[in-house]
Amino acid sequence: MTETKDPGPSREETEKKKGRMNLNRVEMPKQEPEDRRRNFDEVATGYTYEMAMEEASRCIQCKKRNCQQGCPVNIDIPDFIKHLQDGNIEAASRVLKAKTSLPGICGRVCPQELQCENSCTLNKKGAPVAIGRLERFIADWERSQGAVSTPEIAPSTGKCVAVVGTGPSGLTVASDLAIRGHQVTMFEALHVAGGVLMYGIPEFRLPKEIVQREVQYVASLGVDIQLDTVIGINYSLDELLNTKYHAVYLATGAGLPQFLRVPGENLNMVYSANEFLTRTNLMKAYLYPEYATPVKMGKKVAVIGGGNVAMDSARCAVRLGAQEVYVVYRRTRQEMPARLEEVENAEEEGIHFHFLCNPTGFISDGRNNVSAMELIRMKLGEPDASGRRRPVPIEGSEYTMDVDTVIVSLGTSPNPLISSTTPDLETSRWGTVVTDERGKTSKARVWAGGDIVSGGATVISAMGEGRRAASAMHEFLSQ
Amino acid sequence: MFPIVAHEELAPKVHRMSVKAPIVAEKSKPGQFVILIVDEKGERVPFTISGWDASKGTVDFVYIEVGKTTCRLGSLKPGDQLAHFVGPLGKPAEIDHYGHVLAVASGYGASAILPVLKALKEKENRITTILQAPDRERAFGCAELEEVSDRLVLAIGTPGEDMTVSATRLLRKLLANHPQNPIHRVIVMGSLCLMRVISEMTRPYAIKTMVHLTPLMVDGTGMCGACRLSVKGNNRFACVHGPEFDGHEVDGWDVLMARRCTYADESVLQQSFQCRGCSQW
Repeated sequence: MTETKDPGPSREETEKKKGRMNLNRVEMPKQEPEDRRRNFDEVATGYTYEMAMEEASRCIQCKKRNCQQGCPVNIDIPDFIKHLQDGNIEAASRVLKAKTSLPGICGRVCPQELQCENSCTLNKKGAPVAIGRLERFIADWERSQGAVSTPEIAPSTGKCVAVVGTGPSGLTVASDLAIRGHQVTMFEALHVAGGVLMYGIPEFRLPKEIVQREVQYVASLGVDIQLDTVIGINYSLDELLNTKYHAVYLATGAGLPQFLRVPGENLNMVYSANEFLTRTNLMKAYLYPEYATPVKMGKKVAVIGGGNVAMDSARCAVRLGAQEVYVVYRRTRQEMPARLEEVENAEEEGIHFHFLCNPTGFISDGRNNVSAMELIRMKLGEPDASGRRRPVPIEGSEYTMDVDTVIVSLGTSPNPLISSTTPDLETSRWGTVVTDERGKTSKARVWAGGDIVSGGATVISAMGEGRRAASAMHEFLSQ
Repeated sequence: MFPIVAHEELAPKVHRMSVKAPIVAEKSKPGQFVILIVDEKGERVPFTISGWDASKGTVDFVYIEVGKTTCRLGSLKPGDQLAHFVGPLGKPAEIDHYGHVLAVASGYGASAILPVLKALKEKENRITTILQAPDRERAFGCAELEEVSDRLVLAIGTPGEDMTVSATRLLRKLLANHPQNPIHRVIVMGSLCLMRVISEMTRPYAIKTMVHLTPLMVDGTGMCGACRLSVKGNNRFACVHGPEFDGHEVDGWDVLMARRCTYADESVLQQSFQCRGCSQW
């Protein structure tokens, strides 16, 4: 059988399009660095209607749909942009909602430059269509209209599902399964739903009001959210499976902070990034004393690490009044895992970068507060398992740096609360839960996804894993 | 929301609160703690569970008015609601038949130690309890302690004097009779300073001494690392690996005490229960 080949646009049409092709994207307005250093308001203020229309008009609606394939949750990107071009924002929103329940979040924190936008046809010639900014525009527009549309919900299947953890992966599974007619209960250990979106990512990058609106949207699909409930303590995994739940999705993230394990690391004013960001974001210490949780900030701050969490920590430190903030990273700028955009934002805000050095110890001021940090210079050696060149210490290159606050941001690993109380759940030697490609764990009726499986990745990959697991769980529940 | 079902003053500025929280009461064990938030703008504060009733779904804890949140708690009445209440957190205290157990309690520990002592009593231990208080007015919980102890000794410190003096003097006497009248295990619940001093005193006798540490915490489930401490050279989190630790294995008491006081100037009003042995004061 021969395939009928799509004739595609005629040569003439293509040429015409090329002629009209606009290779420059519409910039998104941002707060000036000098202003934003002093507040926790959102840095990027979003497209206006006119900006969004102009940017949407750049999309040439190519047949290949590479952008869609570049999206971990397979959003029908050309379709929602087409609706924008036609001025039908509501229809654009429906296209988004068909594949993501969290567009306001994805539009802000997805690494689009590595995903959809990287695959955009325009990217070969000039700037790709700003898909993330358009997604954000649509989500914000819908919110500003006050009328948030919900999809049709399938008739009840009578099956109950427990989702453990209310971060991006859990929210995705909960909404996917609720729409398919299953009764979903989400369990959250903290006092507010959203997981890392609430405690980790700062207000100025992802306003908490937006997270809560999208959580409310998931709840509006009929999902029950139980806060202040720790699975592994209040209910074991087996208790969930043996009572009312037909299936369980584990999405408790990677919340256990890693430390350098060097002398003096427990001195006062040495924070884990988790503690520092939790105080600042989740507990709103930047609004102390209106909010009761304080966060102490010195004048000269070192942030150890080169990921997005390190950038978030450094930028929070600036906003909390630190005079000098240094990001200390053992490799070079090229190896930094942080998004380029965040590194640039940090630099604009006056944050300094020290590359190729690593702390070897922390020194006390005599009253058990940190007053200095000992470092050793590094050079890049052979590539390691991650493909990045391994940093090697240069002997005799030790030096010290005065600091009065340190924020350790070296990544996290999964919290062992559930795995330690569930002997038949297979975990790796890094503590991550082992699953197949659709999220099925070694334990019957239990799936898992997000950082508890990956050990630490992005919001959108956690959602992508949720999407795949939800379809597998739905198949199982439909048997 | 979590309704307050009872609230009583045990001594000046010392209160016992009983909160309806069935899923916490259901799983509570001696030595565990809860974290509560008074209202939506409140902080997360840990309190050791001093009692519970699974059939009624209630959990009790004792607190002393020292900071913003505890003073706020002091103003609440039965029928008022706490915004959040999560637990039981931490590992339960180790309970077994040891023989003669010496318990030392001060401050909130006078009530918080009760479930541990009850469980030890059920294991047929002989229990001697020393209750440390700054004066008789603030020596609360004697009747309940007497009930679970074979012998209760009051150690009343004179104001202005080092608060740990009395308890340590009594302990010295008991240690002088060891091992003729042996002490098989010591449990201390009180100020960090008291727990440290007692641990140092029992070390030469190699009497296992369990302390219940109360570093600052934020989430209480192993996520933030604020409560980390060094135990035999390893990093441990009081919220998930503790709060009960072998006092002889805890190293870096100075650092622990300094970290405990990080926010003292912000949240702690000057009160008489504060630990004066700590270098930060």
